Amino acid sequence: MMRPFPVLGVATAVILGLAGCGGGSQSGEFSLPTAAGYFKTACPKAAVKPAQKQLTYWSMWTKDEPQGKVLQYVINCFTKQTGVKVNVQWLGREVLTQNVAPALNSDNVPDLIDEDVTKMQAAVVAPNGAQSVQDVLDYKTGEGDKTVRDVLSKSSWDFPGNKLSSGKIFLVPYTILTNGWWYNKKQVKNLKPPKTMDQLFALFDASKKAGRAAVSQDGDIDTYNIYYFSQLAERYVGGGGLMKAAKDRTGKSWTSEPGFLKAAQYVERLAKGKYLIDGWDAAKFPQVQQRWADGEADYLFVGSWGPSETREYLNKQGGGQTIDYGSFQMPMPPGATHDIIEQKPIGFSVTSKAKNPDAAKAFIAYFLNKKMLAGIPAVADNLTPRADLPVPADLNDINKAYNDPKKEHVLFQDATDALNGGTWADNVLFPENNALLKGQITAQQFVDQMASKSADYWKSHH
Amino acid sequence: MTSATLRREREETRTARAGSIGAHQRRRRRIFWPFVGPALLLYVLFLAFPTVSAVVLSFTHWAGAGGTPVFNGLDSYRELFGEEAFYDSFRNTLIFLVVGGVGTFVLAFLFTMVLREMRGNKLIRAILFFPNIVAPVALGIFLGFVFKFNPTKQGLANFLVEKIGLPPLKFLQPEHVTWVVVGALIWASAGFYITILMAAVDRIPAYLYEDADIAGASPFQKFRHVTLPLTWDVIGIAGVLWTIHAIKIFELVFVLAGPGTYSPPISTWSLGLYVYDRSFGAGGTPQYGVVCACGVVMILLVSLFVLALRRLMRREAIEY
Repeated sequence: MMRPFPVLGVATAVILGLAGCGGGSQSGEFSLPTAAGYFKTACPKAAVKPAQKQLTYWSMWTKDEPQGKVLQYVINCFTKQTGVKVNVQWLGREVLTQNVAPALNSDNVPDLIDEDVTKMQAAVVAPNGAQSVQDVLDYKTGEGDKTVRDVLSKSSWDFPGNKLSSGKIFLVPYTILTNGWWYNKKQVKNLKPPKTMDQLFALFDASKKAGRAAVSQDGDIDTYNIYYFSQLAERYVGGGGLMKAAKDRTGKSWTSEPGFLKAAQYVERLAKGKYLIDGWDAAKFPQVQQRWADGEADYLFVGSWGPSETREYLNKQGGGQTIDYGSFQMPMPPGATHDIIEQKPIGFSVTSKAKNPDAAKAFIAYFLNKKMLAGIPAVADNLTPRADLPVPADLNDINKAYNDPKKEHVLFQDATDALNGGTWADNVLFPENNALLKGQITAQQFVDQMASKSADYWKSHH
Repeated sequence: MTSATLRREREETRTARAGSIGAHQRRRRRIFWPFVGPALLLYVLFLAFPTVSAVVLSFTHWAGAGGTPVFNGLDSYRELFGEEAFYDSFRNTLIFLVVGGVGTFVLAFLFTMVLREMRGNKLIRAILFFPNIVAPVALGIFLGFVFKFNPTKQGLANFLVEKIGLPPLKFLQPEHVTWVVVGALIWASAGFYITILMAAVDRIPAYLYEDADIAGASPFQKFRHVTLPLTWDVIGIAGVLWTIHAIKIFELVFVLAGPGTYSPPISTWSLGLYVYDRSFGAGGTPQYGVVCACGVVMILLVSLFVLALRRLMRREAIEY
């Protein structure tokens, strides 16, 4: 799966912050601080002061990551303003499966945890490990009368994948991951974002004609390989459509829904047209996206973490090479009716057995204060669920697409990667999709096999 | 001294000796439990109990977090055997075990043939052992660079392939990577088994080789008629060690076939990776029932291979 969280050095972070200040700070009166400047932000007053005087937070970040540094700063501010002591453990990306899940069997549980919504659902919510945080929506963020509900984009928290069986939400987001096509404006000059699939393929043909590969693709990551099919299929079947087909125990949806075949046909065209860079399926991540950064290919489809990861690579390489990042969304294929954008919100949850839920919830609201949350774009180079918070210049295009009210927001691959503990995707979707993307099977074979393999899978799984 | 006194003295000595033996055994019996107890307790607590628990849990559904295991009969096994990922893992593990095993031992035998007579063989043995002291994860990452395919910046392997005029190979393609892992395994493990086998070879009296030399035996004949029969029991043990090692291979596959942060495509998995992915894998709910079922399959597989190997290697011990 993705490695969405760049580990940036402080120096890089400073450069990012500067870039952000110069480029994307024109929304309203608020301008994004530099990375160094962020850590001098005056601590805003806390609107909610909990009675509980401590809380335990097990973090998905490590202490030295940009996000870890931002959170530590916010924690210090929170303690200063409320007197609540935060016991934080920086545990990294396996925090849920390796730390939280085993702890939930005991009484020694953290109050506050964070991860992306799909992982949180699979690892903690499914076994009843998380409680509702619906009430946090009405907490004030310390900006006048504004509440969490007022400042967050509704699409970032209000969707079926973020609901407990009671209908209440279990996660309040503070970072947004989304995805799209990336290109270097210095390499592909005056690009007009394609409006149709034919225009997209025309761009690819132009790259080939210019002697470059069209698309870089790290083929050893299943969840990267699925982007093309899921993006196109979701445009035909909409949010929840892919999941519905995945859960269909007869597997018949795969052949009866014409959108899947059409989507697969474009993937077949991508494969058979040899648009993917030579060796894309014989390398280890991140070697192929680095080839894109080196200019060997014109386009790269990855998440909003693309710029920070490739920039980190170029900085380490030395040589002073830089990229002027541009991005656009997958065009609507003919006959498709859902103008979707994929997202994966990352946020906080409160455990069911939490001893200090009020303090944990107060902290969540405090972090969403504009001045505090500014660290996510300014230092960590990521998008936030606040549309009023500017982002670094490189992320402007994709941030605009994310906040486009006309777009339908769908979870990455419709959250099928976590269906049944991820085993459905591992056994059925990914192997077939890899074969399709490699040009080993046709679109028709793909949907036929999806139907039969899915039915086989569900015979032995509940 | 009269014969009567002599007899009496002899009897006294005998009774005294018998008494001391009795006391000794009593003392031994008294210290038996204090000495065996702690080891037995630890063994039962940390080995026997988890093994039995794994078997019991394999008949349950258990997501770990917060929940309690729920008995579900053979469902976990049904799920396990209904997954392509399991068959891929099983097939690859057998490839590592059999092909990797044959390769490792052939290489080890070749070295035992020549190493004994080589000058500086102690040094060579140490060098051959080196890959063993490197963590498999580091080895995997390193080999990821060696086998890199990139037409503009090839890895070392393809650089050499191109040097001899052949087209570069896509070593790390999911279809090929299992064989790259087999190669890496042989290269990394051979040193370990050479060390064990050479320790056994060193025990063989030199005159047997001298005698074979006088008779004009070739290195292979000496291996076939002297080394092999006289190290047979050690080879048997080494075979058992290999079996146990091969069935739990994990790290090398994890980092060589995938990005190293998330599981690679299932076609490259080993049983070890299957267990890891289903318990701590990327984003899923832990499935400890299925994981334990896979663990039981692995225990059975090890037992089967070890029994078969012992039977195959059963031979009368040669005394020398």
